[in-house]
Amino acid sequence: MKFRQALAGLLLPFAGILFVGLLWTFLSAKVSKDLPNPIKTWEESKLYVLKPLEKRGEMDQGILLLASYSLKRVAQGFVLGAIFAVPLGFLLGSSQLFFKAFDPTIQVLRPISPLAWLPLGLILFRQSEPAALFTIALCSMWPTVINTMHGVRAIPQDYRNVARVLQLSAWSTFTKVLFPATLPYMFTGFRLSLGIAWLVIVASEMLTGTPGVGGFLWQEYNSLVYSHILLCILTIGVVGFALDRLMGLAEMRIRAV
Amino acid sequence: MSFIELEGVCKCYGPRRVLRNVNLSVERGEFVSIVGCSASGKTTLLSIASGLRQADHGSVSIGGKALAGFPRQAAIVFQSYSLLPWFTAFENVRLAVEAAFPDWTVARRNEKTEAALRMVGLGQAMAKRPSQLSGGMRQRVAIARAFAVDPEILFLDEPFGALDALTRATLQQELARLCQVAERPVTVVAITNNVDEAIVLSDRIFALSKGPEATLGTAIPVSLPRPRTAATVLHDEQAVRIRVKIAQYLTSHSSKPALHGRPEAIPSRALALEVEA
Repeated sequence: MKFRQALAGLLLPFAGILFVGLLWTFLSAKVSKDLPNPIKTWEESKLYVLKPLEKRGEMDQGILLLASYSLKRVAQGFVLGAIFAVPLGFLLGSSQLFFKAFDPTIQVLRPISPLAWLPLGLILFRQSEPAALFTIALCSMWPTVINTMHGVRAIPQDYRNVARVLQLSAWSTFTKVLFPATLPYMFTGFRLSLGIAWLVIVASEMLTGTPGVGGFLWQEYNSLVYSHILLCILTIGVVGFALDRLMGLAEMRIRAV
Repeated sequence: MSFIELEGVCKCYGPRRVLRNVNLSVERGEFVSIVGCSASGKTTLLSIASGLRQADHGSVSIGGKALAGFPRQAAIVFQSYSLLPWFTAFENVRLAVEAAFPDWTVARRNEKTEAALRMVGLGQAMAKRPSQLSGGMRQRVAIARAFAVDPEILFLDEPFGALDALTRATLQQELARLCQVAERPVTVVAITNNVDEAIVLSDRIFALSKGPEATLGTAIPVSLPRPRTAATVLHDEQAVRIRVKIAQYLTSHSSKPALHGRPEAIPSRALALEVEA
């Protein structure tokens, strides 16, 4: 029984991948001749995969190197967003006045697409790099804001009572009681925010033409090398999956306390 | 004037009058228990006496001064342990020591913390988090945290309510011992739904009638020699008389079945007052 479960655990995901691969082959054969099939995709992109850290030109680089540029930008934008998001979440969660004043604005800002923010960033900063960071930070911060806010509201009265009867200073109450109590919620927010940051990076690189997975994707589309588009898509998916898993692990460790 | 004085305290939650004209005076160094059924307003009474909540009418004073907020020289033990789960037992106690003695050196604070945990028999478990400790051990940590600040006043909010009978009996003995050996005399105000617990620990017992409109009866002094144990208290003549007195007061002053009680969940096991006749 255990053997069968292990077999199913390995075989079923493979079956899923095989199915998508066949669908891909079918689409490239029957629907669009421009879409390279999996084998052609591999042939044309193996240089990028097998020499992942080689730099041959501004855009012509190994896939890991390209991904690392994107990741660095995501990390910067994400941290920038979190620096604003966490205090904002705390204020919204602890002050009814602040919540009433800013909640409607936040609800309006939240659904705005990165594609809409980027031009504003370019107008504000006149350079593509800070504009990209601005967009990532602004788009990715909302889950952290909302989750931190809910976390602050969910702090059990018990913990607040502890702070009260021990007569902790305001600073101690924050660092020893409120912040640790909110941390698990914050990490749920971080995980969602990082996912959004990774979504935004591709769009912002495509629009600004900066080197990275998204920039490379757009350049290869313009130079009609379609197999590289598929390589980028797969890379974006795998890296995004890895990021989510890593954040998931961090979240589990925080929650285990 | 007594050390702790409550005079004509009333408290309403919305239209519901929980406490009516509660008077209580506690002398310095005395151990006083308030016995009452669940949902009779015991916790409300204790939070008013400790300054965590404000009374609608009446006054509360400690050492002759009107009470404003939880007093500096006091500590409290809650039924729910109220330990911070992200800290170890040691860190939980040290947090209280840090807050109470801000001008001490780190070494002295650590020493005090360790001593407090050893006093409750947790010398081996200091590095453990609350989630790794049993209910009884958690409550020991909470008791260590309370005694670590050398309190003049100790408030106990059904401290053993969530524990099994055996652990409960052991911790009662420990608490009685801690009160004896404390660096300065401790004045204790405890609430409980267990009459025997009150008899084992207290100098005087007050019964709180069933809510709504709960009020305190006259003081019942307990003059049994210390140390008392659950076993000696069980068949003692005076203890039997006290039990009867409390049971009579509680049954004669209960207006309605008080099931529509306080907002917190009522543990079903605590619904019946534990009176062994």
